[in-house]
Amino acid sequence: MENAKDITEYKFSDIIASPSIKERFEKVRKYFFLRESTYDMSNRCNLRCEGCYYYAGETEKQFAEENLNPADWQQLMEAEKERGITFVVLAGAEPSYVPELCKTCYDTIPLGCIASNGLMPLAKEIDYRIHISVWGNDKTSLEIRKAKNMLVRQMENYQGDSRAIWVYTFTPVNIDQAREVTETLAANNHQITFNMFSAPTDYNGHLRHTPQTLAHTRAVMSELLAEFPETVVFSPYNIVAHTHEQGLHSLFSCSYPRMNPSTAIGLGRSFRQYRTDLQWDRAAACCVPDTDCDDCRHYAAGSAVVTARMYRHATTPQHFSAWLDYVDTYLAVWVKGYDKGENLCKEMIEPPEQS
Amino acid sequence: MTTDTHQAITRIAEIIINELKLEDVTPETFDADLDLVDEIGIDSMDLATIALVLRDEYGIRIDEDDYPKLTTVRIIAEYITTKLAEKE
Repeated sequence: MENAKDITEYKFSDIIASPSIKERFEKVRKYFFLRESTYDMSNRCNLRCEGCYYYAGETEKQFAEENLNPADWQQLMEAEKERGITFVVLAGAEPSYVPELCKTCYDTIPLGCIASNGLMPLAKEIDYRIHISVWGNDKTSLEIRKAKNMLVRQMENYQGDSRAIWVYTFTPVNIDQAREVTETLAANNHQITFNMFSAPTDYNGHLRHTPQTLAHTRAVMSELLAEFPETVVFSPYNIVAHTHEQGLHSLFSCSYPRMNPSTAIGLGRSFRQYRTDLQWDRAAACCVPDTDCDDCRHYAAGSAVVTARMYRHATTPQHFSAWLDYVDTYLAVWVKGYDKGENLCKEMIEPPEQS
Repeated sequence: MTTDTHQAITRIAEIIINELKLEDVTPETFDADLDLVDEIGIDSMDLATIALVLRDEYGIRIDEDDYPKLTTVRIIAEYITTKLAEKE
């Protein structure tokens, strides 16, 4: 006979009996209502970055025609709201080319985020979180993104703007430049979070991580989190989840439609990735389409994939604390006005085994 | 319906009402055949929370892969009954 103590060391009620855990759980569960979908806003971009997801793959999203009619976008957003979507992610190729469409989305669904390269500022009336991409220092940005003085121009555009957070994508060639970028952002009172380069399908270039670069990244992330706690929005468990030799799907079972056939509940039911022609395809629907799923360590994917595994982490106070840190980080990165708390789990612990 | 199943349904309904803070319904009046996703509006995070409370209550593991099957209170009660029988 299987004994309850064999199943788990702790009851859930034991775990949340800790006041700090209980308080954090109550804080984050207020946001369990968030239901996400993503939207390509424009098929244009003022950069051509190596390894770009938007222009990768054969799913032809980059060839979809732009629908620039605000009335069509409003109709889409109203339909999305009707089916329960409460959070929108406006992305590819560069949403700041179509600010009027971003405003239309904001007016209908006021919680969301825009992924931008930050070179064309978005009007403050579009009050979404804005994720500004950084791929290294300005020398590396020039090489990979073909743009000069990116960080200076991004900071000028978003100085004093509480919508903005910089997303530093670690590639094998920019790991040590993260310190320079973090120091610059800290000196200018900006915030930064971390992303990992995840290879697009069929990509075999020099930006694909190796076990050595993953370990190196882990060490640098850890140093920066410790040294810049007011600037770096991350947690030890985020570091583990995104620099592990196993990718997110292997560790946590990806819940996005490409890897999750269920349409009954959760992301498999609600998530859609719309292209610029306002069409979507379940077979391609993923937070970052055309990513090699086995190599996926993307911060946006993790925000949903790790978060969805609450049950699996509710086995010890330490694991549940680590999970709460991850969710607290995710909300601070994605939801404007959400303040991140102090991390509850200071150690870098291994993710729990799959059930 | 056996007394055990009836009791389980009432208790599960109580847990769902409590966790989702549902108003205007009691465990006794909760329709055990309502679709939790389509008619109550439950999602995977709500279900994960309920599953943890049920884990405490009955000392059973609820596999994450089984979440999509747990569509009504009656089905959850039957699932728990089966799991408890497997333990014995």
